[in-house]
Amino acid sequence: MATRNVDVAVVGTGPGGYVAAIRCAQLGLSVAAVEDDRPGGVCLNWGCIPTKALLRNAEVVNLFERAAEFGIRLAGFEANYAEAIQRSRRVADRMSKGVEFLFRKNKITLVPGRGVLKSRDTVEVAGAGGTETIQAKAVILATGSEPKSLPGVPIDEKTVISSNGAVRSERSPKSIVVIGAGAVGVEFADVYAAYGAQVTILEALPRLVPIEDEEVSKELARAFRRRSIEMKTGVKVASVTPGGPGVIVETDAGKVEAEQALMAVGRGAKVTGLGLEALSVRLDRGFVRVSPRMETSVPGVYAIGDMVGPPLLAHKAMAEGVVAAEAIAGRSPRPLDYGNVPACTYCRPQIASVGLTEAKAREAGREVSIGKFPFTANGKAVALGDTEGFVKVVADKASGEILGVHIVGPEATEIIHEFAVGRTLEATLEEIIHTIHAHPTLSEAALEATLGALGQAIHI
Amino acid sequence: MAITKVVMPKLSEAMETGKIIKWLKKEGDRIQGGDILAEIETDKADVEMEAFGAGVLRKILVSAGEKAPVGTLIGVIAEPAEDIAAVLVSAPIPAAAGAGAAGGASARNDTRSAPPAAPAPAPSAPAPAAPAMVPSVSRPAAVSAGAVGIPAPARTAPVTVAAGRVKASPLAKKIAAQTGVDLRLIRGSGPGGRIIRRDVEAATVTVAAAPVAAAPGAAAPVTAPILPGVEYEDRPLSQIRAAIARRMPLSKAPVPHFYVTSEVAMDRAWELREELNALEGQPKISVNDFVVRACALALLKHPGVNASFQGESIRVWHRAHIGIAVALEDGLITPVLRDSHAKSLAQIAVEARDLAERARARKLRATELSGATFSISNLGMYDVAEFSAIINPPEGAILAVGSVRRVAVVDDAGLGVGRRMALTLSCDHRVMDGAMGARFLQDVKRLLEEPLRLLV
Repeated sequence: MATRNVDVAVVGTGPGGYVAAIRCAQLGLSVAAVEDDRPGGVCLNWGCIPTKALLRNAEVVNLFERAAEFGIRLAGFEANYAEAIQRSRRVADRMSKGVEFLFRKNKITLVPGRGVLKSRDTVEVAGAGGTETIQAKAVILATGSEPKSLPGVPIDEKTVISSNGAVRSERSPKSIVVIGAGAVGVEFADVYAAYGAQVTILEALPRLVPIEDEEVSKELARAFRRRSIEMKTGVKVASVTPGGPGVIVETDAGKVEAEQALMAVGRGAKVTGLGLEALSVRLDRGFVRVSPRMETSVPGVYAIGDMVGPPLLAHKAMAEGVVAAEAIAGRSPRPLDYGNVPACTYCRPQIASVGLTEAKAREAGREVSIGKFPFTANGKAVALGDTEGFVKVVADKASGEILGVHIVGPEATEIIHEFAVGRTLEATLEEIIHTIHAHPTLSEAALEATLGALGQAIHI
Repeated sequence: MAITKVVMPKLSEAMETGKIIKWLKKEGDRIQGGDILAEIETDKADVEMEAFGAGVLRKILVSAGEKAPVGTLIGVIAEPAEDIAAVLVSAPIPAAAGAGAAGGASARNDTRSAPPAAPAPAPSAPAPAAPAMVPSVSRPAAVSAGAVGIPAPARTAPVTVAAGRVKASPLAKKIAAQTGVDLRLIRGSGPGGRIIRRDVEAATVTVAAAPVAAAPGAAAPVTAPILPGVEYEDRPLSQIRAAIARRMPLSKAPVPHFYVTSEVAMDRAWELREELNALEGQPKISVNDFVVRACALALLKHPGVNASFQGESIRVWHRAHIGIAVALEDGLITPVLRDSHAKSLAQIAVEARDLAERARARKLRATELSGATFSISNLGMYDVAEFSAIINPPEGAILAVGSVRRVAVVDDAGLGVGRRMALTLSCDHRVMDGAMGARFLQDVKRLLEEPLRLLV
């Protein structure tokens, strides 16, 4: 049994793990990265990246449908879902190869196989070619998360699928029930609807994207309704059983039949089978408990990403990976500001937010001023023919502190960063309004919403 | 609608109490942000106080001539319709101030909205409103409280005073402005020592929680009449004298001073000065301006002298901010000529004169009184041969300048008459040694003896 000695062993090469590995290498540490799938983890292979490729397809399909609006006459067109999936695979492959390239560039050893923590400095990797032992001065766990289901509803990836099956299947269902209206649910609803499926979204909470600002949820529901996506919110799913065209979903508000059901009720940390129990690594509600330096209860063992808790976002994992790497290298990393992690959903209209919703800000006892600017009044959005949505700024009335920003609309996920940067720098409304925004841009809506919070909006 | 509390601002690092010289706005006046509300006498200077909120000056709580500790509510700005009873209840003046320690959260942010309709939780609303109506003389103990007996809080220690630009986030600046916190006195916890919101909020709570001690009998200073037959009189300390009395032992005792003296031949500088002053349209240049310019250039060359003792380290300043001592009737203050090293002789002359004039008129801004990295004290006009000065921490040295005297000198040509000036450098031995001070002084001497160097 081969033994490898390194400074740092990283278990899992998703966005948290591969970034941690690269940062460790940059800081002069020798790194072995353990991966039982393809480098890049769920994000690059089965999550963020391939779904963005699919959503781009959905957008293109939608544009073709609107061709006449632009004076383009089409003699019909065919959107092939299998080819959309194939394209998304090519995109994912390319990104995964990119990670392999970065590993080579940074002299990081990729150890294929499943890693298990044997002691605080030993990782045993069971791979195709046998078992290998890695001796490391520090270990970073970054094993991520996997889709959850509802109690008593097994995911067979045929009629009851998860996002894992959805990104792989080249067949688009004629009808599908999406259970859960978080980011994953609404994104797949968007894709399937664009490819002609009859989509029904079920959500237990009273609205779509329930963690977003209430007005955002309303705007998304309005847009989905226009695209004939059915939505039932505040409903409890009682059972999911085979039957009808494929699956029958019983709820407290009647039953829904469809070819498939997509379980999008959240993700759970992958913390079992890693050897955590034997080492008494402390867990907290199913996630690994870590210090602000990302160290677990066992010194020298670090954990990052989805497995340490919400928000379950790739960029949060990457930032945590940097913190862990710098902590191991003896730097004093700046702890993450978990209140300033942008959240992005790539359905159409896109959703992006950072900070507190209006309701949360009020709950926190802040006296707020609100600025809201619709894309219908933004020249660039009108020119693009993409005027759904708005920018909403929630600010502290007295100080002008930017408490939260909520964007729904075209390229919302790109616009949000000026506010994330602003909040990091502790900019107030004043600094944003004194920043000249180029014309014509979608970002002008950000400026106008900020002006609006001060009662000074120009273009509305 | 917002209510803005006007609190006694902290205008200098040593300031604990301020005295309202006069209100420039009266109750009922409409206020814009930036309006000058009042003139305030601090321990060092008279300073104009700006308004940070807009609305109507609804209430003046500390009248002209009275003193109040830093952070005390001295007025309220709000719209006419606003119910300000709740704010007045929180005013620390009527005794209840000690309870402020628990009220950290409410002190966090001074501009906040009035509670909807309900006029404050306190049923005793008339009581807190009353003091503003009562003539000031009836409650001297209350308003002059605070100055005496409170040791300077640790956070005002001079080591935290940064020179030049204060690095602070916009939000931190805004909250500081609203709460009267002096950013220069706060240590930043953000990247590169940047002051961020939480630093200001922590400081705000400290200010608000500082107990207001009653000072028995510390009434407004009264000049005792000189009566024949009376053996002595006790003169109350002026603000500035009190500050000097408080600070000088802290300057002299803990700082191990040593002194280096040198005599400078001022003949050529004197001639040059006369030539320069004969030029039309040029500012008049004083001997001290020459000394400032020479020191500024020498400090750049000897950064070890332009340095502060920091306990664990020595902070070497990259810019020369020179404090120039200005004598006042009842004390002295040291306005700061910032970035002296980057200024020409003429610029130094103009700015130093302006600073001195405004110092005498007590019209200096608080920012002009702090942040020096080195000081110069010149008693030349009093025909002083030489003297030594006390270092003003955290500066590492101070130069004492004597008169330019005509003395008999012996040179190659034999006996003659020359102009000589004594310079005595007081050095903090923790920062530098004798040789370092001597080399600096040698350079100052050389620059003054070859004064054309001061022009290039």
